[in-house]
Amino acid sequence: MRLAERLAGAHVLLTGATGFVGEALLERVLADLPQTRLTLIVRGRPGEPALARVRSLLTKPAFAALRARDGAQAVDALVGTRIQVVEGELGGQVGGLPPDVDVVLHCAGEVSFDPPVDEGFRTNLTGTLALLDAVRATGSRPHVVHVSTAYVAGLRSGWVPEGRHPHTLDWRAETRAAQALGDGADAASRVPTVLADLLAEARRHRGAAGRQEVAVEAERLRLRWVSKHLIEAGRQRALSLGWADCYALTKALTERAVEDGCSEWGVPLSIVRPSIIESALRRPAPGWIEGFKMVEPVLLAYGQGLLPDIKGAPDTPVDIVPVDLVVGALLAAAASPPPIGEPAWFHVGSSARNPLLFRDLHDYVRRYFTTHPLPRRGRGSHAVAAWDFAGEPRLERRLRLAERGHRAADRALEILPPSSAVRGAADRLDRVERRLRGLRRLSDLYGAYTQADLVFGDSGTLALHQALDPEDQAVFGCDASVIDWEHYLLDLHCPAVTALLRWSAALPPAPRPARGEPVADPSRTVVAAFDMDGTLLPSTVVEALLWVRLADAPRGRWPREMVRLAADLPRLLAAERHSRASVVRAVTERYAGADVEALTALVDERVASEVLSRLSPAAVRAVREHRAAGHRTVLITGALDLFTRPLAPLFDEVLATRLDVAADGRATGRLAEPPAVGEARAAWLARRAAEEGWDLPASAAYADGLSDLPMLRAVGLPVVVNPDVALARLARREKWPVVHWASTPSRSRFALAGAGR
Amino acid sequence: MRPGFVLEVDERTPPLLVHRGDSFGLERFPLGSRVVYPPEALPGLPDVRAAITQALEHPLDSEPLRVLLRPGMRLTIAFDDISLPLPPMRTPDIRQQVIEQVLELAAAAGVDDVELVVANALHRRMTGPEIRRIVGDRVYRSFWPQALTNHDAEDRANLVHLGLTDEGEDVEINKRAGTSDLLVYVNVNLVSMDGGWKSTAIGLASYASLRHHHNTKTMRHSRSFMDHKASALHSSAWRMGRLLQEHVPVFQIETTLNNQAFPTSYAFLTKREWEWSPRDQAMFWTLKNGLDRAPGRLRRKALSDLVADYEVTSVQAGAVEPVHELTIANVHRQQLVEVGGQTDVLVFGLPYLCPYNVNSSVMNPVLAMCLGLGYFFNMYRGQPLVRKGGALILYHPVQNAFDQLHHPSYVDFFEEVLAESTDPAIIEERFEKQYATDPWYTHLYRTSHAYHGVHPFYMWYWGAHALEHLGDVVWVGGDRKAVQRMGFRSASTLGDALSMVSGSVGTSPTITYQHNPPHSIADVR
Repeated sequence: MRLAERLAGAHVLLTGATGFVGEALLERVLADLPQTRLTLIVRGRPGEPALARVRSLLTKPAFAALRARDGAQAVDALVGTRIQVVEGELGGQVGGLPPDVDVVLHCAGEVSFDPPVDEGFRTNLTGTLALLDAVRATGSRPHVVHVSTAYVAGLRSGWVPEGRHPHTLDWRAETRAAQALGDGADAASRVPTVLADLLAEARRHRGAAGRQEVAVEAERLRLRWVSKHLIEAGRQRALSLGWADCYALTKALTERAVEDGCSEWGVPLSIVRPSIIESALRRPAPGWIEGFKMVEPVLLAYGQGLLPDIKGAPDTPVDIVPVDLVVGALLAAAASPPPIGEPAWFHVGSSARNPLLFRDLHDYVRRYFTTHPLPRRGRGSHAVAAWDFAGEPRLERRLRLAERGHRAADRALEILPPSSAVRGAADRLDRVERRLRGLRRLSDLYGAYTQADLVFGDSGTLALHQALDPEDQAVFGCDASVIDWEHYLLDLHCPAVTALLRWSAALPPAPRPARGEPVADPSRTVVAAFDMDGTLLPSTVVEALLWVRLADAPRGRWPREMVRLAADLPRLLAAERHSRASVVRAVTERYAGADVEALTALVDERVASEVLSRLSPAAVRAVREHRAAGHRTVLITGALDLFTRPLAPLFDEVLATRLDVAADGRATGRLAEPPAVGEARAAWLARRAAEEGWDLPASAAYADGLSDLPMLRAVGLPVVVNPDVALARLARREKWPVVHWASTPSRSRFALAGAGR
Repeated sequence: MRPGFVLEVDERTPPLLVHRGDSFGLERFPLGSRVVYPPEALPGLPDVRAAITQALEHPLDSEPLRVLLRPGMRLTIAFDDISLPLPPMRTPDIRQQVIEQVLELAAAAGVDDVELVVANALHRRMTGPEIRRIVGDRVYRSFWPQALTNHDAEDRANLVHLGLTDEGEDVEINKRAGTSDLLVYVNVNLVSMDGGWKSTAIGLASYASLRHHHNTKTMRHSRSFMDHKASALHSSAWRMGRLLQEHVPVFQIETTLNNQAFPTSYAFLTKREWEWSPRDQAMFWTLKNGLDRAPGRLRRKALSDLVADYEVTSVQAGAVEPVHELTIANVHRQQLVEVGGQTDVLVFGLPYLCPYNVNSSVMNPVLAMCLGLGYFFNMYRGQPLVRKGGALILYHPVQNAFDQLHHPSYVDFFEEVLAESTDPAIIEERFEKQYATDPWYTHLYRTSHAYHGVHPFYMWYWGAHALEHLGDVVWVGGDRKAVQRMGFRSASTLGDALSMVSGSVGTSPTITYQHNPPHSIADVR
């Protein structure tokens, strides 16, 4: 009997229809089982309810042939007639299920190998049981077809028969423990010692930016800590129980839970265990694949020359199976329910009868990329490596060495003063880091699979195949021996996987998307706020102090003054990394007793030339352009107002630090008010904006350091100028424009104006 | 003292010294090239002090200065700024010597109300130490800063409008100078462009007055501006000066220097190459290699520390025009070289210094253009040394670098104006006013040490005549981008430059190298 007849009139409940296997399955049912009805459980997305998701699903390439055959309108009309959609999520509540389900095809599941442990159990195990309970509650008595994975076999080698794996784990206890870990991790992250460590790290990265920024960063780090902690918990638990990762562990326990559930419920159960599912052999189209699955990241990394070698032995079979064979096995299994209480197991893989060895895979892929190299935009094409299968210890050693080198270089860069060379080095280092991170991930994730010397027996699946009507064998066949690996890899899989990359590389280099210029409200003032030190001119408060102290001192005292300053410099510089406010205060102390009027005259006479000669021309042009555009130009600096005097005409408003002056006209060594640094700048901008009706979202701010982060965040158009490495990285993440305003320091900083001839 | 002459390069001619901005080179010119050498340095006056006394006591077309001074009068002494002479002369500066004698006479005559003004027009304000170097310690301490000031062309309260010339040109000058009972001007006539009515009518003027002659049209009709009788610029200044004279009597004291433009220890810079002694050879080698290896700032410092061992060749005083006639005769005595006919290709090596980058960190591209196509090109009398449509080849690195303290408007001129056009007339029409009235540039001109916002435009107009006259301009060793921005081309060697200009002058052009500095004026017959 044909499969279409065997499943005619059946009502199939399908989960995971939006996933890779589910989509292929849906296509096949719609195309080749015309009498079969479907109910899909689909998760709605924000702005896209489940029904809409299904409608748009039917327009994807998988359904192109069907639409061509039956007409687009006819296919669209299936939703609501042959297809019913129920909104629901695995691990969440599912309601409104029909009472007459004949087959449950459960394809949905957590696909990540290393989910946080609680999430992995919730989605795969608890979610599956909840689904079965919901179906049971409607009164249906369906045949349950559960999609598992061949890797539930765990870390072992050799022949793996189809059947129940001999382990005695209590899935209920494991699930409870995972849940408890999840709840505990959040609590653990709030322990004072952990919080203190996280805060210290946040301070190291964002300390200069002020306490609010530190707090935001610390909370971000805490959430990351929780997630990493749970991922690691899942990984380690799986390894300690003999599975490669959390995914395989939860899948294995789910099988057992489903067995228990179905035998208690009294419904037939088939468990289908595919190996690594890859692109289609024939259906829905040769080479059809959607999204990147398991092998693709490795393939692409290899094609881009990023994978110098791989863990794994050359004669290990890599168990890959095309998606259409899996779909065929699932439907064939669905049509052949086993007796109640005697679950049937099916391995869908290739290692038993048509193994693809690692070295063959490498040869094919290498041949493919040698004849069809991946293009590099504007730089010809990528070169590929020849793996020598060096073995795990050597690879691991190499990778660890590279990671250590990277960390050392990174630490060095963070403390170097900003310069174009340092920024360039940081960019290069970041590229290295991305590469290393990718390698580490691939190595950690796939290590277990590439080294697993497993052969999955598939006599059950072969029997399913042979039981099919000969005509059905062509459509629903699940015999892996038909695969011609050379043809599959070279003509179908590799071209399909690289198609997207090739397509995007062929595009002309995209112009950087212009930032959407915020539309200014013409009735409100637009502001351009500028930081001074490091932005308009390359110097710091520390240097400014040096100038004035030197200018003030008689020439004979210069050496003494310089020695004193040199002694203080480390302290001042260290303080500057920590907080600019404390530097400004330390600097101000040094002015105690100075005659302010004389000091002002001194600055006007001597220091002004120094300041002006160091001004970056591009910076001045930017200020002037803003002014010409009708913007209000504002100088915000932690430096003493004395030093801003030469620049004052460029700005409509200057916020600088003022010295506290005693009645006798001498500086007290204290500040008249707290210095405008860090968050104080943002607060000041907000206050002035409220008072004067400034339009901050349409305003710009220019600054150079992490300490200016609050000011940059306060406006709609932050521009980062000559950033240090930390800020440059942040700017890239935030997609803020970065400009390099060079200044040609025209004369030695010690040749004070007036000291020349 | 041997006169200047024109050498024809033959097999025996050694490689010749060529200035290349912050360095020098030796260049082997093609056989048959002509090289114009200035006359050797004239002997200086044996007793400068006596010569000054003599000039003040026996002025031309004027009563002796002693007679012109009387108690209760307002006396203003104006003098040339730091742009003269180049390089700065060894102290005491000739201006100090003259001013001291004038002040002695004024003191003797009981004149109390004396002020000194630097005639810096739209040039940058000089710093105290720079002024002290010119006027000497005694004068500086007595007058700075109240009675010894930089002229401020933007200080509306201290300008006086004296009227219009017959051609409708505004005459607006420093109020103190324009309302004095006597204006004494002390100059250094380094080149023939200086002096005469240019001293007062230009040096003490405002933008409103300067714009009448500092423009493209005038500069295109100043052929050359080094010859005041053939210069529209000078004609305008002369008209203004005659009007000025109706309001204030001017007693002009002009001085001339010889050709000793470098310290005597660097004699090779002023000697003819085939006469270099082993010591000169060694000095050249040391200096060149030192400069080429030194970082920019050090190189710059080594060069700007050079002071010239100039000697004074003449002092004349009295009425402006007769004094200037005599002065020019003295300048010509030192600089004029007769050259037979024009050339297809003219070659200059541009030195590290021009009038507008004294004590600056660098000579910027606009100044390099002005030095080459303005000053050097115009060092001729009669007709340009290079034929119409001929080529000019200049040696200079043309770094894209600016002194942000002295030349803030130059940076923007280079980035914004030259990016739009390099045609002086278009630039003048579209951009001059905006720069001239820009409040930020004006602020910097008045309070800092910046050239006026309009000054880079003047530098560009200075080259207007050359731009119109020449068919090709190529810079040897010039920064490609900076040179291109100015509308020129750059080459790495003289050979490349010659093949680049072959389109306009052919493959076997006549070549003339004007060996400069020390300065020479080509009297082209």
